Amino acid sequence: MERKLRGRGMAASWYGIARTATIDRAGAWAELDDGGTAKIVTGVTEIGEGILTLLAQVAADELGIKPSEVTIGDNDTARSPEAAHAGATRQTYMIGNSVHLAAREAKKHLFEQLAEHWGVEIETLQSFDGEVWANDTNLRITMEEAVAICKGRGVVPVGSASFTAHGTGLDPVDGSGSPWQTYVFGTQVAEVEVDTYTGEVQVLGIWAVHDVGRAINPRGVEGQIEGGVVQGLGQALMEDYETVNGHTTTHGFAKYILPTSLDIPQINCTLVEDHDPLSPLGAKGIGEPALVPTAPAIMNAIYDAIGVRMKSLPATPEKILQALKSKTPGREQYVQEARAQRAQSHRG
Amino acid sequence: MLTCDTYHMPTTLRDALELWSEAPEGSRLVSGATDILPWAREGRAGDVHIPSLIDVTRVAEFKGYSVANGRVRLGANTVYQDFLTDGVLRRTLPCMPFCAIWFADDQIREQATLAGNLANASPVADGTPAVAALNGTVELARLEDSEIKTRQFVVSDFILGPGRTVLQPGEIITSVSLDSAAGYGGSFQKVGQRRSLVISVACCAALVRADNTGCSFDDLRLALGGVGPRPMRLNAVESRLRGERISRRTIYAAAQLAADEVASRSRQEYRRSVVIGFVKAGIEEALENQSDVDVKFEETEHA
Amino acid sequence: MPKLKIDLEVNNRKMSKETDAHKRLLDFLRDDLNLTGTKEGCGAGECGTCSVFVDGKLVKSCLMPVAKASGSKIQTIEGLSDPGTLTPMQRAFHKTGASQCGYCIPGMVMAATSALRENPKADIEEIKERLGGNICRCTGYTKIFEAVELAKAVIAGDMPEEALNEDDVGDSYIGHNVRRLDAPSKVSGRLRYAADMKMHDMLQMQVLRSPHPHAKIISIDTSEAEAMDGVVCVITSNDVPEQTDGFGVFVHDQPIMARGKVRHVGEAVAAVAAEDLVTARKALAKIRVVYEELPGVYDPEEAMKKGAAVVHDYAPDNIVKHIPVRKGDVNAGFANADLILEDDFSTQQVEHAYLEPEAGIAYVDADDVVVVISPSQNITHHRHMLSHILGLPINKVRFIMSPVGGGFGGKEDMIYQGMLAVVAMKTHRPVQLNFTREESIIASAKRHPSRVHYKMGLKWNGEITAIQFGMISDGGAYGMSSEGVMRKAAILSCGPYEVHNLSVDTTAVYTNNTPSGAFRTFGGMQAQFATESMMDMAAEALEMDPFEIRRINMMKIGSRTHTQHKLTAASLDRCLDAAEKESRWENGPPNVRGSKRSDLGGDDTRAPCTLGARFKNGKSTDKERVA
Repeated sequence: MERKLRGRGMAASWYGIARTATIDRAGAWAELDDGGTAKIVTGVTEIGEGILTLLAQVAADELGIKPSEVTIGDNDTARSPEAAHAGATRQTYMIGNSVHLAAREAKKHLFEQLAEHWGVEIETLQSFDGEVWANDTNLRITMEEAVAICKGRGVVPVGSASFTAHGTGLDPVDGSGSPWQTYVFGTQVAEVEVDTYTGEVQVLGIWAVHDVGRAINPRGVEGQIEGGVVQGLGQALMEDYETVNGHTTTHGFAKYILPTSLDIPQINCTLVEDHDPLSPLGAKGIGEPALVPTAPAIMNAIYDAIGVRMKSLPATPEKILQALKSKTPGREQYVQEARAQRAQSHRG
Repeated sequence: MLTCDTYHMPTTLRDALELWSEAPEGSRLVSGATDILPWAREGRAGDVHIPSLIDVTRVAEFKGYSVANGRVRLGANTVYQDFLTDGVLRRTLPCMPFCAIWFADDQIREQATLAGNLANASPVADGTPAVAALNGTVELARLEDSEIKTRQFVVSDFILGPGRTVLQPGEIITSVSLDSAAGYGGSFQKVGQRRSLVISVACCAALVRADNTGCSFDDLRLALGGVGPRPMRLNAVESRLRGERISRRTIYAAAQLAADEVASRSRQEYRRSVVIGFVKAGIEEALENQSDVDVKFEETEHA
Repeated sequence: MPKLKIDLEVNNRKMSKETDAHKRLLDFLRDDLNLTGTKEGCGAGECGTCSVFVDGKLVKSCLMPVAKASGSKIQTIEGLSDPGTLTPMQRAFHKTGASQCGYCIPGMVMAATSALRENPKADIEEIKERLGGNICRCTGYTKIFEAVELAKAVIAGDMPEEALNEDDVGDSYIGHNVRRLDAPSKVSGRLRYAADMKMHDMLQMQVLRSPHPHAKIISIDTSEAEAMDGVVCVITSNDVPEQTDGFGVFVHDQPIMARGKVRHVGEAVAAVAAEDLVTARKALAKIRVVYEELPGVYDPEEAMKKGAAVVHDYAPDNIVKHIPVRKGDVNAGFANADLILEDDFSTQQVEHAYLEPEAGIAYVDADDVVVVISPSQNITHHRHMLSHILGLPINKVRFIMSPVGGGFGGKEDMIYQGMLAVVAMKTHRPVQLNFTREESIIASAKRHPSRVHYKMGLKWNGEITAIQFGMISDGGAYGMSSEGVMRKAAILSCGPYEVHNLSVDTTAVYTNNTPSGAFRTFGGMQAQFATESMMDMAAEALEMDPFEIRRINMMKIGSRTHTQHKLTAASLDRCLDAAEKESRWENGPPNVRGSKRSDLGGDDTRAPCTLGARFKNGKSTDKERVA
């Protein structure tokens, strides 16, 4: 057997967006502020996924200003409306849409005032990147001026919204129900090299394709996929929290092995945008879906390389060497059985 | 958490020896501190109070290195990063850069000393086989009736067992001396492409010199780590190959001999293929890394 | 406490200070100089978040006793650039989206800066090596590498400085790569996480944790600890109202501190609040707890057997939750199958390993509002539970989310905020708790391990006729998110395929192991690991390409899911097509074709890593320091 053997594998996946088997909800407040800036306040839980930036983009897009002009308030039970938690790949969907709707309402109040002030129909008004104008006229001002006009007329352009996702509970006997109103799908391909002397696996390439509905910030989505893939790789090959009779033997990072720079495959992301028809933004989510297919794609690739099926994670070098040693020559047993059965059924 | 009463940083060997011999019970010597601080934490030693910590990294006599009479004398404060950045050390100690690049990471290499690593005597320390392959000796100093006395040990005699060395109370390592192996090719094999080891299996340090025709082994040194409490020089393999025609066949046979030696000496099951693979790859890579000779394998000649 | 005097220069500022002899350089920078950009992600030299320059060399300051720094010039993240400016490296991190939670980022910027200082021409392999001592859990490193290469090009003049500016927007901000709003605060080390925050008069808290996996608490004597100089209070479950004590995401089975018995190693038993950290730790050692060890259960299948030790009285069978899903008729489905595969799969408990260990501060404000500042993933739920437990009106409890240095589900459980609140209420002083890494690992929940028994029936044409899926998970000592994880695993179990006959059972079981809880995918990846392995095994048996067998079975618009939900949208076909195309997949059954494939080793893969890039290329800095 050659020392280094390569192979490829793939895996498909699906996931649900927002809280499972229940109704999910998120609230938000928006205000168009002095200087043509905006304040957005919502229970957003930024844990590194980039939701703050995304919300700024959503608000900016709806209001017609720049994302850098949006200030997002702190997440504080005494200061912000409930948008609940970071989890269930829900924030883009629940809070993104909620902010979008709140911003829409704030803008509506501004446009109502401006339309009256200019004597135009409200439908002719548009805003983008800090400017407001009325179509088919030469009326055009900055958002800063528009806000001043609105406030001068005694109206503070504020808006609020609550967005709902309708999931139903599951039947206690057969589990039937509609746990989410939106699903996402994905596929990943992995290419690996296995060192048959040491059992080590290097993942050289990952192709990750995920339906995100609509990519509000494509680079941010890629970042989530890359982070998810590497966590998947870690679980596939090296991470193992071990306990013996309740006592851990992996106390710290010297024993609990995490992927470092040296372990990272080239990650090639492709985003599929199957717009969600049930929400104003059409976006879905990526945080958790990104992690689902990675480990099986890697295990399938290992099988392609060395013909051993790793059914227990993590597939450490030790386990792989052991599997290589005990592998019976030839194919997996069911392939042979399947052939025999098929031959028999054709004969029969 | 590590707490202490006093932290000393003596600047001369004499001061260090005096402090060390007078230090209260439970005191410790500190070199790079890269072993002691992770040790004093939950899951390992827990909270540890040490009366006196004596840090030897400012001792003037431990600084730098010298090359003389075919030996390189490394002061005790030589850090692992030096094997990567110092041109003289890279040239005279050809297996050390490959060993060092596997050692932790850049930051820790700037802090961790070779001497401290040897004093720790971990059976899975990477430095020890590389030092053994270079016929490394350790010099220890002590105070005897106010006089500084020294004694030397070959590294495999210096280490007595896991975590145990010949260091007596009051003794401090002053230097590690190694063969100057300029002109040899070096290599180092280790399991674990990650910074940290998943399984503590063998590592292998190799030094080879082909003769100037590139056809036979003038000299080779092989040492395994992680196969027992002490580094294992593969003397039988070395004698088998010295003077022999360089060929993949004989290298592979020698590697199998190495695996047999390991299996007979250690109680743990080291997979034969790992040791065979390491020794084979170790010799072949070291041959490749010998920069001034064009190595000619027997097999390619007949091709 | 013993002191020492140290003269050094930090960020170009010369100083002479007295500090505690035991401190590490890390503690000195963070506590004495308030330079909190340098972090303690692990304290054991593994994660790199503590990296600083000492006399021009990058070192891990958690491994450096402070005395070693005397006479040295230190540069921290705060000292890389003047106030209000960012270095090209920092700007590159901002541009490429290299910072996510930001906790690893100051250390990573330092390592990247060091890499290019050591070798401005370093190639990507050498860059990766030089970053090898820094762990990131959020980004997958990819955009960090991109940032370093971008900075390298700009510094070398190969690319203009404008390359670091934000891209111009097209006609919409939706779909635009807007740079992260919070990146500047993270790349400069200025963002303060909970452990970086300081309040006047603040106490330090430490928690006494159970050394036993299952034991009755016979008595706790805190008198010696309370009498110690510098100790302000010691709390136990006696300080929490018994009737209402209990929190949890789905079931409120976990007390703020152990009540009556401990159920896992690392469970909180008591807590000390003192004037400083060292005193608090010393006081822990003075608390005398008398335990009576109980037989424990450490395996979910053992725990389900009759006679097994019972972890929670309310669940005598040790079942946390069982979720069934049934569709069609599996027996008929298997009878109808041409091929039946049956196998077992298992996955391990996984640690979140967010770089920021848990931390928090609590205080009572002038309006008697109990305020808790922590990186909680669900302050809404935490406030609900805490106000109920403490018997306070909900608007007299305030949860503020501090910047989160990584969550992934691990910061969803309210495992320490209750103790902080109790101490704050008892002392009317602010109190801070910073977990060590080791504490975080044993006290916080893990990803559920899984054992799956899988039976799949297929026709020769590749159609799945039936699936029987059984998953058992060790839920550990407390319920945490086990119910939700089992539910999600059950719903997603059989994968994105239309299966007309299925029988799915997922079960989480109480044991005396470290609890399992919420962790990115909530059971989805464990279940689909098994499914996607089975699909490839089926593909091999049927001699079909793995994409082909997925297409034959995939869900489409109008398909009914395993829970009989009719889909009005489905995109797996597009995902499969794109993956096949982008990866240049060579068609064929998964029958160990690796050595024969032609689609390997493309430009879209990396070279295998072999250490030594910096000298293999023959070019690296040469220094000679002969004595």
